[in-house]
Amino acid sequence: MLEKVTLKILRYNPEKDAQPHYERYTVEAEPTDRILDVLEKIKAYQDGTLTFRRSCAHGVCGSCAMRINGRNRLACKTLLKTLDTSKEITVEPILGLPRVKDLIVDMTTFFDNYKKVMPYFINDEPLPEDGRERLQSPEERARFDDTTKCILCGACTTACPTFWADNSYVGPSAIVNAHRFIFDSRDRAAAERLKILAGDSGVFRCRTAFNCTEACPREIKITKAIAEVKRAIITGRLD
Amino acid sequence: MSFKTAMEGYAKYEGLGNWAFILHRLAGLGVILFLIIHVLDTAAVYFKPSLYADAVSLYRSPVFGIGEIILVLCVIYHGLNGLRIIYFDMINPNLWTIEINRKSVIWTWIITLVLWLPAAVVMGSHIIEHLGS
Repeated sequence: MLEKVTLKILRYNPEKDAQPHYERYTVEAEPTDRILDVLEKIKAYQDGTLTFRRSCAHGVCGSCAMRINGRNRLACKTLLKTLDTSKEITVEPILGLPRVKDLIVDMTTFFDNYKKVMPYFINDEPLPEDGRERLQSPEERARFDDTTKCILCGACTTACPTFWADNSYVGPSAIVNAHRFIFDSRDRAAAERLKILAGDSGVFRCRTAFNCTEACPREIKITKAIAEVKRAIITGRLD
Repeated sequence: MSFKTAMEGYAKYEGLGNWAFILHRLAGLGVILFLIIHVLDTAAVYFKPSLYADAVSLYRSPVFGIGEIILVLCVIYHGLNGLRIIYFDMINPNLWTIEINRKSVIWTWIITLVLWLPAAVVMGSHIIEHLGS
């Protein structure tokens, strides 16, 4: 059943606007439509200058993270029926990164922080005799399963009060991706990553506000992962 | 990114955890403010005793009395929420789930109020008595 929905979108064109401002758009949409569908309708039929990132539209690429009614979500995973459509729905860019245009932010700092934790497999030891896989048990694999799910959308890091105040903090996403390798039994650079995360811009900047876990569209237990990294640094153990 | 961005996030970001965090910070600032005033007035005992006597008489005013009631709230909430976070973070990280965190935040607020209300009633009645005399 079609209903009228009003979106209040924070617009910003650096070539024209001194400051960001809100603009309202009313469209007809189904309760099962997603915010991304509504944005597409606005762009196609009302205002072609509306700018936002999107790619897969299926909750996997992590392009469409934005603040919807005050909290970070993926536009492609947020159904209208989960929101109060009798009121305006506020859509703003994620917070803490420089605005480029409308709902697009410059993610450079986010990815620079991601690179700091060496988010790739490191093991210089010779391959097993069969020259194929480095085997691990199901239990060893399960140890870091949760943190393999990150899609680097930035919803967690840009929901973090510490990151809002200081971009040098690596942020929840980088820690999640470090956790994925730190607790991988096949990896050999855990000590190096823990040393990076024990530094001034590492895990101890986390204030456990819990916004990251609430924001994650992949339901990763981020605050738990950060706590596990803190414990690994304190105890020197990876159990 | 900046102080301004942080303030925008504090004021506008939605979520129970965010509120628990903001209140924790505000309560911490309240306690720090008290400690600074307390250290300064106690230091006056050594440097200028008459100033200390003036400060103590000022603290007996109703405005400071209400401030003390708020201070008790700050101390109880900051302490309890701090213990909650230490327990979750350092002892049992498995508790960092959305459901448990939301419940624990609400329980922390309830316990804070239960502990604070009797103290507020006693301290408030002292203020009223003082005003009457």
